[in-house]
Amino acid sequence: MPRLIIDEREIEVPEGTKVIDAAQRLGIVIPRFCYHEALGSVGACRMCAVKFLQGPFKGVQMSCMIDARDGMVVSTTDEEAVLFRKRVIELLMMNHPLDCPVCDEGGQCLLQDETVSGGHGRRRFRGPKRTYRDQYLGPYIKHEMNRCIHCYRCARFYQEFAGYRDLGPLRIGDRMYFGRFSDGSLESPFSGNLVDICPTGVYTDTTARFKLRRWELERSPSLCNQCSLGCNTAANAHHRGVMRVEARFNSEVNGYFLCDAGRFGFSYSNGGTGHRERPLSPRIAGAPASAHAALTAAREALDNIAAKYGPRAIAAAGSHRNSFESQCMLDLICRTRDWRGPVFFWGPEDRRKTLSAVEGLDGEIAVSMREIEKADFVIVVGADPLNEAPMGALALRQAARKNAPVVTIDPRPIFLPCGFEHFPAAPEKIERYLGMLVWKAVEKDAARFGKDAEEFCRYLAAECESCEPPAAMARLSQLLASCSRPAIICGTDVTLQTTPAFAADCVRLLRLAGKQAGLFFLLPGAGSFGSALLSGTDDKTFADLVEDIEAGRVRALVVGESDPFHHYPDRARLESAMSKLELLVAIDYFPSETVRRASFFYPSSTIFETGSTYINQEGRVQFAHPVHCGGVPIRGGEHPPRVYSDLVPGGDHLPAWKALWQIAGTPDKDAGPGGISPEKFIPAALPAFDGLKAGHGYPVDGPRLLTAKAGFQGKWERASADARTGPENPEAFELLMVEWMFGTSEFSAWSDSLDAAAAAPHMSMNSKDAARIGLCDGDTVSVELDGGAFEIVVSVSDRTAEGVLVIPRHHSFEWRKMKDSPARVSAEKIRKI
Amino acid sequence: MLPDELKFKLREMIAGAESPREKAIDVMFAIQELQGWMSDEAMVEAAELLGMTPLELEELATFYDYIYRSPVGRYVIKVCDSTVCWLQGHQRVIDYISSRLSIPMGGTSADGLFTLLPVCCIGYCDRAPAMVVNNRVFGNLTPEKIDRVLTQLAEKADFSGSE
Amino acid sequence: MPFKYPLVLFQNRKPDRVATLDEYRESGGYEALEKFIGGGISPKEVIRLVTESGLLGRGGAGFPAGMKWAAVPDSSPFPRYLVANSDEMEPGTFKDRMLLHVDPHCVIEGMALAAYSFSGSKAFFFVRPSYESSAAILERELENARKAGFLGNRILGTDFSFDIVVHRSGGRYICGEASALLNAIMGKRPNPVKPPPYPTEKGLWEKPTVVNNVETLANVPHILRNGPEWFKSLSATEHGAGTKIYGISGRVSRPGAVELPIGTRLSEIIDLHCGGMASGSKFKACLPGGASTRFLTPEHYDIPMDFEDLKKIGNRLGTAAIMVFDQNTCLLGATLNLMEFFARESCGWCTPCREGLPYMRDLLWRIENGEGKEEFIPNLRMLCKQVWNSYCALAPGAAEPVISLLDFFEDEVRQHISEKGCPFHAKADH
Ligand SMILES: Cc1cc2nc3c(=O)[nH]c(=O)nc-3n(C[C@H](O)[C@H](O)[C@H](O)COP(=O)(O)O)c2cc1C
Ligand code: SF4
Ligand code: FES
Repeated sequence: MPRLIIDEREIEVPEGTKVIDAAQRLGIVIPRFCYHEALGSVGACRMCAVKFLQGPFKGVQMSCMIDARDGMVVSTTDEEAVLFRKRVIELLMMNHPLDCPVCDEGGQCLLQDETVSGGHGRRRFRGPKRTYRDQYLGPYIKHEMNRCIHCYRCARFYQEFAGYRDLGPLRIGDRMYFGRFSDGSLESPFSGNLVDICPTGVYTDTTARFKLRRWELERSPSLCNQCSLGCNTAANAHHRGVMRVEARFNSEVNGYFLCDAGRFGFSYSNGGTGHRERPLSPRIAGAPASAHAALTAAREALDNIAAKYGPRAIAAAGSHRNSFESQCMLDLICRTRDWRGPVFFWGPEDRRKTLSAVEGLDGEIAVSMREIEKADFVIVVGADPLNEAPMGALALRQAARKNAPVVTIDPRPIFLPCGFEHFPAAPEKIERYLGMLVWKAVEKDAARFGKDAEEFCRYLAAECESCEPPAAMARLSQLLASCSRPAIICGTDVTLQTTPAFAADCVRLLRLAGKQAGLFFLLPGAGSFGSALLSGTDDKTFADLVEDIEAGRVRALVVGESDPFHHYPDRARLESAMSKLELLVAIDYFPSETVRRASFFYPSSTIFETGSTYINQEGRVQFAHPVHCGGVPIRGGEHPPRVYSDLVPGGDHLPAWKALWQIAGTPDKDAGPGGISPEKFIPAALPAFDGLKAGHGYPVDGPRLLTAKAGFQGKWERASADARTGPENPEAFELLMVEWMFGTSEFSAWSDSLDAAAAAPHMSMNSKDAARIGLCDGDTVSVELDGGAFEIVVSVSDRTAEGVLVIPRHHSFEWRKMKDSPARVSAEKIRKI
Repeated sequence: MLPDELKFKLREMIAGAESPREKAIDVMFAIQELQGWMSDEAMVEAAELLGMTPLELEELATFYDYIYRSPVGRYVIKVCDSTVCWLQGHQRVIDYISSRLSIPMGGTSADGLFTLLPVCCIGYCDRAPAMVVNNRVFGNLTPEKIDRVLTQLAEKADFSGSE
Repeated sequence: MPFKYPLVLFQNRKPDRVATLDEYRESGGYEALEKFIGGGISPKEVIRLVTESGLLGRGGAGFPAGMKWAAVPDSSPFPRYLVANSDEMEPGTFKDRMLLHVDPHCVIEGMALAAYSFSGSKAFFFVRPSYESSAAILERELENARKAGFLGNRILGTDFSFDIVVHRSGGRYICGEASALLNAIMGKRPNPVKPPPYPTEKGLWEKPTVVNNVETLANVPHILRNGPEWFKSLSATEHGAGTKIYGISGRVSRPGAVELPIGTRLSEIIDLHCGGMASGSKFKACLPGGASTRFLTPEHYDIPMDFEDLKKIGNRLGTAAIMVFDQNTCLLGATLNLMEFFARESCGWCTPCREGLPYMRDLLWRIENGEGKEEFIPNLRMLCKQVWNSYCALAPGAAEPVISLLDFFEDEVRQHISEKGCPFHAKADH
């Protein structure tokens, strides 16, 4: 560990730390443009010059290019170094348009900061300024090349870090240009990071353009709730609207970056237009009502039901979208009022998979996204990281960049922005492939694994004998055998119910073989981990509620931030069930079908308006601070309202948990002194929260709610495996509904901003299957399901598993015609049109 | 758009390389030999042959001096404007060619035969002032010699080799 | 020619054509290859002899050739590559072209021997577009060498296989810089890359790679055939070794390339080997080693043209491309022209070079065109100092003529400022 002196202060840093980082540890921020911790050093901008007074280097040198070494004495304030940096700034400003007053970066511009702090103020260069023509880069990013200082950060992030190949450095010398081959949308779904990473205003956020100045914004640390990873964001609001979202550094979760869905998918919170208009006013039977009236009326109606049929005739449903506060409140209400529920899952499969993931994950094997980056072999099973957890794909790329082999075993035609080997496998084959891969890597040591693993080993050995592994598997097993930090990423969407536990057992086996193996699950949504923690006792899901409603056992339904109409695969059945209800109470911020049908509706506040806790898929508890109070956004140029009041227009919403509490009737005895608060009701629902101070009190990196150590999960037997995998009609296709990064989530359905990037839905199938039934890539087909037909374009690839049809749960078309999910469709039901 | 014959030749050339990208310049030169310059369509096709994206090929095409991304005449006259040629009167050479062909620096003659461009030192300083036309270098330039070269070029449909 | 020196690299020079393989062999060509490779003499011995000969790189930096080869670690992976650098885009430089047009087999044999020394199996001959004629000659002669068994699989029936391919550049000065050159060959943007790792450890496709100048390589067969002592004895100075191809251009009677003992005095080179100054011209200054060296004034007209001696006066031998200016040359104009070159050719990677050189060009242009101001002079000096801290050696090289212009010809610069224009403009016609 080298010890060195920087500005007369001594510090010891790990081997390989650059001087620029060593200084930062002392709180000395050396100016820089090209250097970025995530991108590494390239020494291009020459802004980080410092003077080396003693040690192996002498004179003015770049602090980003030199490793800290013993005996170094460095001065960042040396006159020569300061002058050098000042001149670098002068050079960078020679051609700068000085358009700060109209530049969105103004006020949060590194170039501005360094120019001012460097002391450059007077223009001496008398030559003309170079000018460039800008390109159209798509709906999210605005290009303004005249502001470029050629630090290469954009190209390095875009190509090296994120792995996309359509933006880069062009031309030479002082004519250098960063752009695309021609005008067009950036292909990378991580393009928004260009806004954060560009030290000046070349890439600005189109959605926020000309609307804000940094210093006018209300700004808070927030979270992304669009997938289960829980990436950290900084949310910015202004005039009661969220203006933009930026990435917020979290060393364990998302690092410095964010995906485009997370960054641009906030527009639902601002109201939208037409059918996307955010419901901000409480309603009774569809008609606007005051907050007090709506809450009181709903409570009375519920009381009536309880009086008439008993409390068990009332059911409550939440979802994976709920904050943990809302989930705990639902739990509290159902417990104290004896309501049915709460249910958070759509069906038993869904529930079992998530539960077994959460149970199978223990503190020993769980890895964070950062640890995925450090893995030296990654196996992705039944998961499509780019679509289900986009930042996970970026983490995979970092591992791949360090030469970690990446293997995907999945029915979908997976794409990842890195080199990887894909084994198309129908859901029932996933475990088999994973088992082979792992077993062949650990087989030779199996004898010493001990009793716990015996059963699993025997099972794997039998599996391997029963069938031929795909080519290339043996080679990969060998690589796996020689690695030391493998990780398995396992999904919970298209997999079988057993797969999460199977994956966990594989990780345990790898650990027995002496590897630092890690496990990383992808869950259905931001609230899934919480759903699993709270739904341990009651084995019910929304599917059961539907039956209960149909049977008349349930007469009233309270839905907290959940839209069955979006998720439930059998639309017809759901409609008839819902129409049997005597009472539907909905609390939400989306203008969903459920909200439209509710007898009583109360608007809830979004993550941007409520302090909310989320537990991500690795069990990490994180808190999103509210950024503003919400209400009808003030849009530019409109005349102030003529009716004056001291209420915020559209400000009636409450956090869902508060609205729920009031609707359920607030017997003070439950609240205790001081009223109800998450700090009390969360630990009441989940004792693990006992020591944690909810909200502001969570430790920065988020404590992880994991058991210390769980054992092998499965009772594996070969015979049962065969029973599990035998499809009842082998000729029929399995219809797999999947998530896309854009277009399938509820957020997509209600955010104009996400539609801009959503592709039209298509159905993927294997080329052999397509040939067999006479279909070609690009054909439009009609698929006849039990509940009716839908039309879709076919996309043919040999990377899709045989025997499956992969369809996105795209909000723009009617896929909810299955009787059951997963469903099967026979070939005759697919007709070309 | 690229003739199949050329594509076949290029594929063969690429197959012989350590890595396809290594042949990027050769591929573009071969296309230019046939078509004069790298049009957008040619870029897209060449990139595909090389296993690159058009942007990646553009990163190279726009870096180098001898790849043309806008149309040029059949003969690209590049007059050296570096030190020794400057010393030996390169400006007179430029002015002479410019007026003889009635084109400004950077222009292409009306018949589409000649484009006039500056170039930095071509390594014929011992014969300054010098110019390079396509692959061929001409040194010790005088008005008479330039006349001869231009007439010859205009007459000949095709030529290759060097002085 | 008044002084006769033994010719080594140019011994087969013909007035109008390239020496053939047979002619090269008659002069002793490929004997070294037969003896060392064919005879199975250890590669280490090749390195030892070349190191002992004192052969310094002829590409500009003067790095000992043997040491570079020895830097390829014994344990490093295969294949290992050799690159012959014939980019030669530095203004004033044309010696490598001459060499190729005189005796290509001398270069080919040198490459085979160099590669043998570190077990290289493939070489790239990197050549600029305006040297298409060199490329064509080389490709033809490579085929002849292969037929004769000097190249290709199992050379002379030994276990050593080695071949050379010609890599054509798209044309940019920065491609001559060794690390940028490697990027160029791999089809990446030719930006330089700072070591570590050194190319000798991780070069082309992460494999060990040696980059040598063409002239450096051409010396190798002769050294191996005649011994290090002989090579040292060729020098005109005590400390030097070998001969040097000087390329003289500008205001001399007979510009061209001449091979002379390294360390031959400048006065002798110009007066005797180039027929003196052009008629009516008086020596005012020269750039002794290409565009990125300092102006050399009449005071040093007698200097031995060797690495050491030029270093002593704060200058560099560089590529030994001597550009001669006379009393009618505006040196400010010449410097401006050089800066046009460097600013145009900067790869654009680092700030001081990308922006600093155009800044200098602007200041020089203003002075030359009557818009000069006193304060430009300290500003230029400051910029020179600053570009010294660029990423690669291009920009520091570009500053050299400017620094020396200000050091030795400040009066001339000031005259431009005070007279609001170029004092030579009226006199000369350029
Ligand atoms: C900007 C720049 C351009 C260069 N151009 C050439 C060149 O054209 N030919 C060359 O041999 N070396 C050139 N060099 C030097 C090379 O980097 C390298 O030192 C040389 O090829 C090594 O060969 P040597 O050791 O045999 O001299 C250049 C260096 C720089 C910084
Ligand atoms: S000094 Fe910098 S910009 Fe100039 S050529 Fe070298 S790396 Fe490129
Ligand atoms: S930050 Fe060190 S050179 Fe740019």
